[in-house]
Amino acid sequence: MDIIGQFPLFYFPEYGSAWMMGITGTIHILFSHTSVGAAMLFAFLAHKAYKENRSDYYPYMKKYGMFLLIFSYVLGSITGPGIWNTATAASPRGISALIHNFVWVWATEWVFFIYEVIGVFVLVYFIDRIDRKTHLKLTYTFALASVGTLALIIGIISFMMWPGTQAFYATGSASDAFFGINTFPHMFLRIGFMIMMSGVIGLVISSSMRKENEELSNELSRKMGYISIIGGFITLFFFIWYMGTLPENAHAVFAFSKDAIIQNRIILTLVFVAYFAIAIIKPRWINPVIASVMIGVILISGLWSGEKLRESMRKPYVAGQYIYSNQIISRDVPGKNIKSELPIIAEKGLLHLNPFVPARLKTITDENRKDAGELLAKMACSNCHSLEKTGVFRPLKDRLTGMDKEGIKSILYAMGEGAFSYMPTLKLPETEYDAIAEYFASLHY
Amino acid sequence: MDATVLLALRDPAGVPFYPIVFQILYILTWALHAAFVLLSLGAMGLSLYGSAKGNQDKHWSILTPHLIQTGKISVSILIVLGVAPLLFTQVIYDPNWYVTNTLSGMWIFIFVYTMIVGYCMYYWYYYAHKAQRTGHSLIGFVSFGILVFAGILMHSFAVTSIMPHDWMNMYAPNGIVNTSGWTFNMDIIRLAFMVSLAIPVVGIFLQNYSRFLSTRKDFDASFISYSAKLGTNFAVVGLLISAVLFVLWMLQIKYLFHPVSIATIIGVLVLLAMAKTNRNSYYTTLVLVVVALLISTMRELIRFDIMSALGYSIYDYPMNLEIPSIVMFLSTFLIMGFVGVAYLLTMAWKVGKREGVFDGSKDVVVTKLGQATLYIMIAWMAIYFAWGITTLFKNIL
Repeated sequence: MDIIGQFPLFYFPEYGSAWMMGITGTIHILFSHTSVGAAMLFAFLAHKAYKENRSDYYPYMKKYGMFLLIFSYVLGSITGPGIWNTATAASPRGISALIHNFVWVWATEWVFFIYEVIGVFVLVYFIDRIDRKTHLKLTYTFALASVGTLALIIGIISFMMWPGTQAFYATGSASDAFFGINTFPHMFLRIGFMIMMSGVIGLVISSSMRKENEELSNELSRKMGYISIIGGFITLFFFIWYMGTLPENAHAVFAFSKDAIIQNRIILTLVFVAYFAIAIIKPRWINPVIASVMIGVILISGLWSGEKLRESMRKPYVAGQYIYSNQIISRDVPGKNIKSELPIIAEKGLLHLNPFVPARLKTITDENRKDAGELLAKMACSNCHSLEKTGVFRPLKDRLTGMDKEGIKSILYAMGEGAFSYMPTLKLPETEYDAIAEYFASLHY
Repeated sequence: MDATVLLALRDPAGVPFYPIVFQILYILTWALHAAFVLLSLGAMGLSLYGSAKGNQDKHWSILTPHLIQTGKISVSILIVLGVAPLLFTQVIYDPNWYVTNTLSGMWIFIFVYTMIVGYCMYYWYYYAHKAQRTGHSLIGFVSFGILVFAGILMHSFAVTSIMPHDWMNMYAPNGIVNTSGWTFNMDIIRLAFMVSLAIPVVGIFLQNYSRFLSTRKDFDASFISYSAKLGTNFAVVGLLISAVLFVLWMLQIKYLFHPVSIATIIGVLVLLAMAKTNRNSYYTTLVLVVVALLISTMRELIRFDIMSALGYSIYDYPMNLEIPSIVMFLSTFLIMGFVGVAYLLTMAWKVGKREGVFDGSKDVVVTKLGQATLYIMIAWMAIYFAWGITTLFKNIL
């Protein structure tokens, strides 16, 4: 019996299922990056407070810590496994590939998480109950544990883009997969962003302390301004380096919206440089409302668009350049005894090979052609495109507008020959091409 | 689902280590996770009673904020501890994990945001209770209800995952494919048993709480005695309820006379005797940990048997040994994990045991553990970068 290990399909109408992961992922990045950045900031502030005997820094750290508990350790810690769960629903084989390559890396990260979560409660609630020397040491370990979580997840998400060299395919080794050419630039790009975010959140806290102690509020706002500028500069520097380490297909997608993206980044850079400069020069102008609005600006204009771009640039793959977004294994990985599924799909078809296709759709007939076409379209296309006439997320209605069945078929044939680097090279039996084309044509985009 | 399909659903990359190790880690970490789920459930639930009582009762005015705080911290810990069993289960039980996630995709999404709303509201409840704002009890009740609903969803995922016979029918009833992700299943007796465990868990927690605070001079002896008695009552009544539900559950699935089931019942009886006499609740807690491990083993046994009967054995999973990363995990877990957590917990214990400021710099154990944690973490970072740079140079030069 010929079977490929595909799972049932989850599809959210009009949007597809990948956007759910996108939303959860974007929120998580904001909180998790702030958390690591804040851990580094705490170590810096605790160091200064201890060495310079600045006891007035401790109430600030406590206030920041209380905010962090909700911001990062409620929202961040739930959305962490949340990305994982929603990604599993949307891309089960993509996540499975990551899990089976990196389970011990994730398990190691979990050890750091435990230290972080217990550590943050000790750090925040005992700030007034332990001596400062012990508190300082605690902040150092807390910062190292937080950076440790980044050090561990970064190789996995870098591998999602690509392993960077051919070594992984030959050896199947997690080390070769983890330490690709984009891992370290990616790591420092995120460290820069984390430092910046710690300053951005720090401005909300410092500006809210104005009534209690204006002098301290202004001093800390200035410090947060400097910290944010340094973080922003590191982010930009490593972003350029990171872009240079990406594969060809990523650049092909990037080229589509290069001008708009560059324009967006320049505007964001100018806006935030101005904001941080104000924090340094005129800290009194910053208030909690403005500071909170700026977090929203980062979330929507920076993170959401950035994450969408990163996800698009991976296309047509979802992990390691060997699994397509539509859950098909697209190349051999001899180091892991993995075989490409493309030849058998071309020969037997998706309906025949997918174990969750009901018996009535296994063989295409005149009666079931449209239903089979709809299921095939969901299986082959819906991870990246919404299918309906009213679809919202990368809708096919915009790509196939006004096309008839033959026109659609010619696009499918071209894809089967690998005509588009950012689309899967998915060759299907003629009956399946025909059924998909009939279904799309029936929608009259 | 027959064996051919289930075996095809395994990841072609294979497992990176012996499957039994993942199975043991799963049992161990699920028990840890469940302990904090039950503690948070019990502490939150009991705090609502205290909250509704108001500040009139002198004992509850002390106990309620502590229970709220316990519930709050426990939720954070249960989330982080919950990551590990999820991780280990999907390495060896791919069909169960991935099919459930896709069949219940919509509920998965709802689960994530239910947790967020419920936990944020719980913080609101914490602050509202602290400030004694009007309606704080209502906020607590709503947040508790939302978090319980999240728990029910997690139960549904667990139940769906052990129904491989019905997966095809859930996905394509009468041959009509349903990609909506709204699959939801419940096993009332199993759920009732799991939830009932929150009562003895909070009972034993209260015994520990009372014992821990008994050395503090700023806590009245009558309060210490009251919280200990309350804990004993909860533990005893709760254990009796849980025992009955456990027997019903075992009868339902015909496992009552299985050695693991019998061992669990004996464990519960021992626990009952220890909780009733309350000679040393710290020892009772150790037995509770053993019982939690037995319950975790029972869950795993049920799943293992269901899958084995269909021809899917985790022990036959193809293996691609991955030595460097398991060495990293084991050394981090055993060295950094134990030393680091011992450092934090020792400090927390010593801070909690006294009034005023604890000078850790004068405490030999805390100082040494802190120093060791710091050095281990620095060494870890150095090894990480050395490993990364070496790998990269090897592959690109």
